[in-house]
Amino acid sequence: MDVVQGKQGEAFKGLLVNSLPSLVAAAHELKSPLTLVRQLSLMLESDNVSLSDQKRMLRQISLTSERALRLTNDLTRSARLTDAMFTMEPINPQQLCEDIVYELGPLFLANDRNVRLKSYKHPLLLVANRDLLRRIIMSFSDNALHYTGDDCAVEIQIKAFNSGKIIRLGVRDYGPALSSDMWKSLKGKLSKSNMPINARPQSSGLGLYIASQFANAMNGSIGVIRHRDGATFYVDLQASKQLSLL
Amino acid sequence: MSSDTTVLIVEDDKWLAEQHARVISGAGYKSVVATNAIDAMHIIDKNLPDIMVLDVLLTGSTVFTLLHEMQSYADTGSIPVILCTNLASELSLSDLSSYGVKQIIDKTIMLPEDLVTAIRRQLL
Repeated sequence: MDVVQGKQGEAFKGLLVNSLPSLVAAAHELKSPLTLVRQLSLMLESDNVSLSDQKRMLRQISLTSERALRLTNDLTRSARLTDAMFTMEPINPQQLCEDIVYELGPLFLANDRNVRLKSYKHPLLLVANRDLLRRIIMSFSDNALHYTGDDCAVEIQIKAFNSGKIIRLGVRDYGPALSSDMWKSLKGKLSKSNMPINARPQSSGLGLYIASQFANAMNGSIGVIRHRDGATFYVDLQASKQLSLL
Repeated sequence: MSSDTTVLIVEDDKWLAEQHARVISGAGYKSVVATNAIDAMHIIDKNLPDIMVLDVLLTGSTVFTLLHEMQSYADTGSIPVILCTNLASELSLSDLSSYGVKQIIDKTIMLPEDLVTAIRRQLL
């Protein structure tokens, strides 16, 4: 017997059908960290692992779990965007990005990579929800960590456009270039994103999809710039007008 | 067990590649790791591995680009390939045997020692 009936049942089924691409993408995205955690745990159960290896593997398990949890937290937040109230406030992007660099430092270090912020003394303030913006930049940085080459630094950049009306926060990686086919497909999907966007072949695109939802909720947008040696994923947001009120 | 046997691991998850290498080296084989198809081809160019363990979805391209490239040359085309992937349920060995694929391992349910068992089986 169908457990959901009537109008509520139809609404639930509709929600399920609409959410299916995201659910499939989430399942795909979570497979990799869970696979790694399982393999490392099984290995730790055996007796022939040195103490230094044990420590390294335990660290990898905790960092991998944190990454997976970040994704699930973003998914939950994304699902609640429509009925949630959130505060938009003037934010110093430099300070926010410094906090992110500090937070992601151990994960990058454990992967023999580096994340750095291109500094500005007096960046323009932007208007955003702190939590959503933080999640977008964390997601872009996580993506960059995976795709950037060994011994390369991921760079977080802050730029102003349109006579200072738009502030762009970008995360530059130095990974493989996007192919022309993927580039065209990505550009098209970014403009009408209502489902996961594949940025690179092995990615379900879920992180980018969630980031675009977060950006839309703040009247912003996300985009990507293709470089010969990587890509920059960015979010554009309105600059704060509080200075003009002085 | 043979320390002369080289296993090339192509896996874009650096820590999972490290784990595969740990298991394979523990069984007495020499392991070499590449995290993408281009690096794998450079390694193959220098020294032909005896067997390869490949992930399917790689950074930059899928493994099929690499397999296609390898099939273009007689020496690389004969290297036995084991696919170790999260997509095992969506792949068919019969469809991929012409690419040199001898076995497909499901990463989501495999035990660490399954990798060594598969390598031994293919090298017999």
